[in-house]
Amino acid sequence: MRRTRRSHHYAYAITAGERLYSIFLGPFFVICVLFLAVKFFSVPSATNVNFSDLLTATSFTLGRLLVAYVIAVILAIPIAILAVKNTFTEKIFLPMFDVLESVPILAFFPILILFFLRINLPNGAAIFILFLSMLWNIVFTIASGLKLIPRDIIYAAEVFGIKGFRYFKEVTLPAIFPEIVTGSILAFAQGWNLIIVAEVLHTYIPGGTNSQDLFGIGSILVRASNQGDTNLFIASIAVMVVVIALFNFFIWQNLIHYSERFKFE
Amino acid sequence: MTIEFKHVNKSYEKIHALEDISFLIKKGEFVSFIGPSGEGKSTILKIIAGIEKETSGTVIRPEKIGMVFQTIALFPWLNVYENVALGLRSKKIPEKEIHLIVHKYIKMMKLENFVTHRPADLSGGQRQRVGIARALAIDPEVLLLDEPFSALDPKITAELHDDIISIWRNTGKTIVLVSHLIEEAVSMTEKIFLIKGNRLTNTFLIDLPYPRREHGRFMEEVSKIRREFFK
Repeated sequence: MRRTRRSHHYAYAITAGERLYSIFLGPFFVICVLFLAVKFFSVPSATNVNFSDLLTATSFTLGRLLVAYVIAVILAIPIAILAVKNTFTEKIFLPMFDVLESVPILAFFPILILFFLRINLPNGAAIFILFLSMLWNIVFTIASGLKLIPRDIIYAAEVFGIKGFRYFKEVTLPAIFPEIVTGSILAFAQGWNLIIVAEVLHTYIPGGTNSQDLFGIGSILVRASNQGDTNLFIASIAVMVVVIALFNFFIWQNLIHYSERFKFE
Repeated sequence: MTIEFKHVNKSYEKIHALEDISFLIKKGEFVSFIGPSGEGKSTILKIIAGIEKETSGTVIRPEKIGMVFQTIALFPWLNVYENVALGLRSKKIPEKEIHLIVHKYIKMMKLENFVTHRPADLSGGQRQRVGIARALAIDPEVLLLDEPFSALDPKITAELHDDIISIWRNTGKTIVLVSHLIEEAVSMTEKIFLIKGNRLTNTFLIDLPYPRREHGRFMEEVSKIRREFFK
């Protein structure tokens, strides 16, 4: 990116309006909504959870999702590259990944929890299960993106001496950017689906109690449901929906729009 | 530096793409390979470019090669400047020098007003001009043109024909064109190799002054090649 920033501000250029919108207005809007929500609303709750607790819990949940997502993306890229490197690796790895994708990851969750509790890292269990649920979505979309790189683009890179890490940085990564975005959206959706399970650790521990659950919107939601706290249940779902919608509107939509410039005609 | 093929064969598993191809292209020549689709023209170009490796035989080719692609193959995420600079960045040239070289070829290809445009914002002709500027920017010993005009309208094609001829005359570079159009090859190149059935069947020398299409013997040359082409 050094070259882009220094010599050619017009590489990857977006309009000033888009820049203002994505950099300033998006986060500003989120902050305003959250500020007003904390300021003016509170949730009457039998379980003594107020609105700001819900927001804090959501931020903890988002943190887990983001850590799992970052690890999933970082690992998915080389895995996908290896898988479609040539017809031989494709024949070996793609069927293998198909099998791995269909393995019910929750079946291993109790073992994972015991392992991470033993090393005193309960968050690790949730992050690991979220990571596993996200990984294959990203791997498969990136793999299909790699196969869509036009042959002449690969030839042009070769003729003009783009090799090694430069090829990865300047050809592979931009070429698969739209698929990374698509895979990320699918992965996050999968992550949100699983968060309700991933934070409620005690159900997988023999003789476990609520205190062993991870603080997050998923565990609050489950607790509200178990304790029949309808207000908290509805408020938790509302917060989750709003966060997912804001995430979609301010992050994914912008990225989808931005990824258009990386698509081959 | 000349390009020479001696008894070159190329196979993909059980398919023969080239059979016993031998030819010599001298430095500064403008030659073309013509023939029906799928019978080996582009494979020859790819072997010259070093993208494909011959199965057997001997190939002598220069190191510095620029190539213009049928699909143009610009990087959609880079603007005109960055696309033209692509090959220069592989050569560890100082940024200042890259800037001068890129602007020289952007000017030569009449793209001054499109420096910051991305390929999606350009017409087909403008994109191919970027492709030519990108190939020339690395100052290649040989310029390879793989059916570069096949997706363009006749007016733009005629303009680009003139541009390529003047680049050849002004720079003295060796140029190798692949085309399936006999008229195109006769109007531009000095020597035409006819590739049929994966073999080099005929070589034609064209000794006409430019611009050739207006010349009385143009259609005569075209007819002569056409007869062999469809034989």
